[in-house]
Amino acid sequence: MATHDTTEATDSTTGPSKEVVTWKTKLRYFLNSDFVRSSPYWGIPFVLMGIAVYGGIGYNLAISFTDYAGIGRPEFSNLSLEMYRTALADGSFRQAAFQNFVLLVGFTSVSLALGLFLAVLLDYGIRYKETIQTIYLLPMALSFVVTAQVWLWMYSPGNGVLNVFVTALGFGSIDWLGNPRIALAAVIFALVWQFSGYAMVVFLAGLQSLPSDQFEAAKVDGASTAKTYIRIIIPQLKQASVGAAVVLMLFALKAFDFLYAITGDYRPPNGTDILATLMVREAFQYGQWAYGAAIATMLLLLSLSVIAPYLVYQYRQGAL
Amino acid sequence: MVDNDKLVDGIGRRTYLGGIATGAAAGLAGCASGNTADGLEVLHGWTGGDGADAIETLTDAFEEEHSDIDGTFEAVGGDGNVELNTSILQRLTNENPMSSFANWPGNNLERYEGVLMDLEEDVWEAEGLKENMQDRAVELCTFNGQMPAVPIGSHRLNNLFYNTAAFDEAGIDAEDLGSTSDLLDALETIDQDTDYVPFAHGMRSAFLGLQTWVQILASQSGVDAYTDFIEGDGDRDAMIDALETLQEIQENYITDDASAIGYTQAAQNLISDEAACIHGGNWLYGMFRADDDFNYGEEWDWIPFPGTEGVYFYHLDAFVTPGDNPSPEETVEWQKFVGTQEAQIEFNNLKGSVPLRTDIESDELADFLKMTYEDLLDSDEYPPTLAHGLAVEPEQQNDCEGAIGDHFMDPYDAEAAADGLLDAVSE
Repeated sequence: MATHDTTEATDSTTGPSKEVVTWKTKLRYFLNSDFVRSSPYWGIPFVLMGIAVYGGIGYNLAISFTDYAGIGRPEFSNLSLEMYRTALADGSFRQAAFQNFVLLVGFTSVSLALGLFLAVLLDYGIRYKETIQTIYLLPMALSFVVTAQVWLWMYSPGNGVLNVFVTALGFGSIDWLGNPRIALAAVIFALVWQFSGYAMVVFLAGLQSLPSDQFEAAKVDGASTAKTYIRIIIPQLKQASVGAAVVLMLFALKAFDFLYAITGDYRPPNGTDILATLMVREAFQYGQWAYGAAIATMLLLLSLSVIAPYLVYQYRQGAL
Repeated sequence: MVDNDKLVDGIGRRTYLGGIATGAAAGLAGCASGNTADGLEVLHGWTGGDGADAIETLTDAFEEEHSDIDGTFEAVGGDGNVELNTSILQRLTNENPMSSFANWPGNNLERYEGVLMDLEEDVWEAEGLKENMQDRAVELCTFNGQMPAVPIGSHRLNNLFYNTAAFDEAGIDAEDLGSTSDLLDALETIDQDTDYVPFAHGMRSAFLGLQTWVQILASQSGVDAYTDFIEGDGDRDAMIDALETLQEIQENYITDDASAIGYTQAAQNLISDEAACIHGGNWLYGMFRADDDFNYGEEWDWIPFPGTEGVYFYHLDAFVTPGDNPSPEETVEWQKFVGTQEAQIEFNNLKGSVPLRTDIESDELADFLKMTYEDLLDSDEYPPTLAHGLAVEPEQQNDCEGAIGDHFMDPYDAEAAADGLLDAVSE
């Protein structure tokens, strides 16, 4: 090897020989580089992840262009956007998309507002801070299935806890999940109960990372506590807010588990159908694979539209 | 070189790659084996209660008779066979069929079109089942000129079970209820004169409203109105009339928590002496029987749903056989066994349904089932149930449930629901 290298070096006075040596040397450097030598560690997971996730997404996208339904294999010879056109013309799809949007906005905004309120209270130094923090965070440790069962009992029109209070106040019993006018609000409320603790922790971490001299400076300037938070502290929680909002919105998009656990059926309570439940119903109950794939693709695009501005924001902040 | 092959701390690269390779091989082996089992593999949805007891007795009897066959009988849970149907669909789509699965025959078999095994020669003719099964069952187990299913039991849908104490207290003679208007009068009397909830009814799933609407339609406008509807030629006015009757019941005579409960909780209201009557398939009998203090002819009794005397609304459970069967010989033996007198009596006595064989001594069945079995053999009409797969294709059935779910679960819109139902069956 060494002799051969020497010979090549001797011949390197001419142009072409010099290129050969450079190419081989470069290859040797490349093969000995950290990138290549570490590739078994990152490359294999990368390939597996690529096949399992992005391969799956790609296959789903391909199926959505076919008319694949029932038992058999998809036929890829005649691809079209027919399933997307069908979905956009379908009242069930439009209703599910609208309800998904309401869930997304309602759940995220209320969770953020409540989380911020709790975080400010805790940050202000109220008594039993740790206990309260644990109480609010605990629901997040529960699975959607458990939360659904808990709230099914809470909302029961017969003897549910909420109706015990409502009837004690002299009102009639309310059919929280059975009335399509309020069912989605009831679902949002239950999800807020589960996830506002998460928003609280994110905001609290943000608040506690702020230097205390800002509070002191505001105090010296005579600002009230409320004004200090509103004008000085909360604006600095922008990054925490964006991060928490993205996570909450993604939870809202995949609330299928919660809705499925309420009825044990692919058809959730009337007025609460969302794209995820519609997609599962079309694909796995009716065997309309192509139509289900088209809905899944649109759900993915919706998720990306939620997360893309966040990624751009992070990039501009230099966090990516 | 040696140094390059080893990490200073941690596992070596070769060890790491070996581990990855072993894991990948194990994973691929796991994927390749899928859910298939050696020998006979049967999927069903009877995960608890009387259904679980019935299938266990059935499979024990089969294994005792066929000790040479290695059988796996797997219960797949979920309301209304949701998970079972999903599991079957996924496995058949992935070309990973099981030996047999419990399902409804009739139009429900459309969802498995093209991947079913014909049992006509090996089971139906070999065992003489065509001569010994009720004609309607033979008809419903025939699909696209093949016979891929063997029936195991039938439930009757047009039942009104009632709490005898409630009817006595209200002074109602159940035998006098010959129409839905009689039923509405009785419900009003119970509501006015007793503390009972007049009508136990679950509304958590749309199929419960759908099946009650079917009974009302057949009662008010005749079975022909129903069969015209499922054939795509429904009388919209008759349908709206039936929907309005259902609305009257749901608005006035059911429990406050109806939207949160299914039929099992609704039936529990009858057992716990809180409700006066309930409509449902005679699987409710299986629930009643489980309570020693709630006995047929004493605490509860039965009449056909008012206005449907002489009609047997037909529900059918069967074992279906996929083609490309992983165990064709064992599967044929299993299906032969399903059609035997022994299997039909053992299973149905526990399940609360009735055998489809016509050569069974009715004394072999419990009292209530004996009466149902005699009605099965000797009714005037046998319309198929809508909410249980027999009457229309699966997607039409789902759209019918959607029409009720979207327009008739409070708030009520009878016209929109009727149009939705008509659209569903005209597809």
